Amino acid sequence: MPGIGIPSLEASLPPIVKRNYGKWTSHDHIRPGVIKHDAESGEACYTVRAAMPPNARVSTPTMRMLCGLADEFSEGFFRVTQRNSIEFVGVPVGRIEELIARLAGHGFPVGGTNRSLHNMTCCTGYMHCHLAATDPAAIVKAISEMLIKEYETDCLPAGLKISGSGCINNCGEGSCADIGIVGVHRDLPPINAEKLKGCELPLVISVCPVGAIKPKGPGMVEIDPKKCIHCPACSVACAAFAPIGSANGDGVAIVVGGKSSNTGDGPALAKMVIPYLPNNPPHWPEVTEVVRKIVDTWVANAHRDERVGEWINRIGWEKFYQRTGLKMSFKVVDGYDQRSLEYVRSNVRFRW
Amino acid sequence: MPTMEKIKLCCAKCGFVIEEYTAEELAAVPRKAKRYQYLKNKSSICPSCLASGRLSDIRVNEESGPVGAPRVAAPASSTAAPVGHEEHAVSPTPMMDAMSQGRFPSHAAELKKTKYPVQMYEQALQKRRTQWGYGGYVSLPGVASGVLVRSSARPEITKGSNFVRIMDPCGNFFSTASMRGLCDIADKYAYGLLHLLSTGGDLELLGIPTENLKPAVEEITNLGFDIGSTGDDYRTSEECIGPAKCDLTLYDTLGLRAAWYKRFLDDVQYPRFPHKIKCKFAGCPNDCVRGCQKADIFLCGVYRDAPQVDQQKVAKWVEAGGDITTVCSRCPGQAMQWESGKGLRIDEDSCMHCMYCSNKVPGVRPGGDRGVAVLVGGKLRGKFGPMLSRVLVPFIKAEGPDYKEVFDCIEKFTEVYDANARKKERVGDFILRIGIDEFYKLSGVEPAPQLLAQPRTNFFCHWEVEEVMDERKR
Repeated sequence: MPGIGIPSLEASLPPIVKRNYGKWTSHDHIRPGVIKHDAESGEACYTVRAAMPPNARVSTPTMRMLCGLADEFSEGFFRVTQRNSIEFVGVPVGRIEELIARLAGHGFPVGGTNRSLHNMTCCTGYMHCHLAATDPAAIVKAISEMLIKEYETDCLPAGLKISGSGCINNCGEGSCADIGIVGVHRDLPPINAEKLKGCELPLVISVCPVGAIKPKGPGMVEIDPKKCIHCPACSVACAAFAPIGSANGDGVAIVVGGKSSNTGDGPALAKMVIPYLPNNPPHWPEVTEVVRKIVDTWVANAHRDERVGEWINRIGWEKFYQRTGLKMSFKVVDGYDQRSLEYVRSNVRFRW
Repeated sequence: MPTMEKIKLCCAKCGFVIEEYTAEELAAVPRKAKRYQYLKNKSSICPSCLASGRLSDIRVNEESGPVGAPRVAAPASSTAAPVGHEEHAVSPTPMMDAMSQGRFPSHAAELKKTKYPVQMYEQALQKRRTQWGYGGYVSLPGVASGVLVRSSARPEITKGSNFVRIMDPCGNFFSTASMRGLCDIADKYAYGLLHLLSTGGDLELLGIPTENLKPAVEEITNLGFDIGSTGDDYRTSEECIGPAKCDLTLYDTLGLRAAWYKRFLDDVQYPRFPHKIKCKFAGCPNDCVRGCQKADIFLCGVYRDAPQVDQQKVAKWVEAGGDITTVCSRCPGQAMQWESGKGLRIDEDSCMHCMYCSNKVPGVRPGGDRGVAVLVGGKLRGKFGPMLSRVLVPFIKAEGPDYKEVFDCIEKFTEVYDANARKKERVGDFILRIGIDEFYKLSGVEPAPQLLAQPRTNFFCHWEVEEVMDERKR
């Protein structure tokens, strides 16, 4: 039964890591997808990073195959990175090419380190979610195919991270990434009178961020269509407001310039540049076209080590729209946000 | 290997396995036998090819022990098209097939290797709308968090499915032995599909029937993994790779996370807060865990003295073609100056300890006066949309093995949050509602200039009557 906590460090770390725990001195990018770490003892640790299916959805036969590779090449251990890549840690230097070839044979390209497109993260979307306004896994797959050269070579000014979220709950971290694809609803949520009986009305009314849900007679509510901002907050809180969305109402918004590192201009959330693009499975051509435009313009114009957000900060939004050829609309002007926390620092770039 | 007889209920047309039992199970468990009879006699729609009709049952002798989810061929009595025509038959999943093309690994191809009801996904793509329905938490005796259910909007395809969240091990390192164990559990009880790492840092097993939840959870814990991370509690904490494989980390993130689980495991597994709290631990300001954007409580490694420069190593790197000019010009504080012969000079007043030089130049290492900064209130939705986290305490020494000082600070903060926030109010929304000045007052932290982005420009300070009276008395 639960209550045992996470597995112990001793059980989960590979031997090469245990030998050099906390004693690393430097790192180096050998080739795209391969990182070398040097330890105080003089030992070098080679890590091979490979792409994974969108949303890190792996069937057990595939996983067993990967386990077999880990047994053979990295002493029976592997790790999954924050961006859902798979890493084989401690591969003998003479066998790196062999591992890369074997991975490629199984359909796992190696790359996504340093100045390249990193593996893309996304949420579960249509696969297993009731709120999804789009299928980020499919979009991520389409964009990965389009940018596979950028994944496998160090050809970009800086690291590029692209993420997709199925709705504005942002489980897929769209707002964190250099380019984010976030599903948006445009319909009013339905009200199911029968299911509403099972919900706490005060909670339902208070959960709406704009006060669009109002009581209407005993045990019933109404939604003000003028106020609704199509966040699925009510759909999350109460089953009466689900399912939200429709085939032609749902779509995706594009955000750019998110970053969490304190280097350059410091951490920032991504800003919306396109409020709506239609869903067009299975390859979402409208979305991939916009991403292609933004990436190409960034590559052509950015300085070295300049992430997408920093590039935009330098050239300004008017130049961004001008150079990418995207069309700005008043929907990207924020009239909702009335926060006033600018007085407090959100980074750790302290001066002591 | 010993063999055992297995009875599989599968689609008569495409052979998609809907349920499978062992012969012993069917004889011994009346509930299973009843369900088997019910499914066998009922006309249903195949989740894979959408053909309707009776299911066919086939008996096979299989090697006992773990096997990958086998796809069985259609039995001879099926009404499917003759074998020769299969090539030309319309695929039941055209969208997913289109998505399986290309050089990148595809989730659609992976789904098709498992027992996942592929038509749920295929239909969603065709209708451009999700086919899943409302979800929630599942209560299981002895399990307060970690099990979720999602219902189905297409009950004729699947009735909905449960899934469990397994907290990932330190550094997301898996041994192949434990991962194979998880694969066995996924094959035995679930769809045979792993969600290897959710963005929250959990491993999810999808598609466990309700009657199998208890044995599945039991086997997971026997394997050494624990479940949790649903509801209004601490969610699975994430840490960066830290000392396991990184030369830049400023404290032992893995050790801190292990200690965190030791101290707060009850709060992870029993929901009691106003809303969920996500903790993330980054070893240095590079913030590989995206804590500043995502975490309600974010511990970030920081250092206070100047970066240490190994002049010889730097000179060697520059000689070998290192691009020191770009690095100097991109330093956000313009603190770096390089003169060949004199070496690299870093101006302490201008340095903002952002790690850029350490990332790029071998030989520049973070200083030795190290600790953690505590930031709170980051989130990606909540009531007021995405927010970055804000500095609560700029520097605490992080000292193992129990990290008491750091965790006391966290606990103090959660008490304030618990006592003052409304139900379903994320930390960021709570701070925004009560005001940042009020929040600092409640938290009882010391004022430090490191908190400030800038001091206020207006003069509307609030003075308590008592404060003014005290001044007068003096």
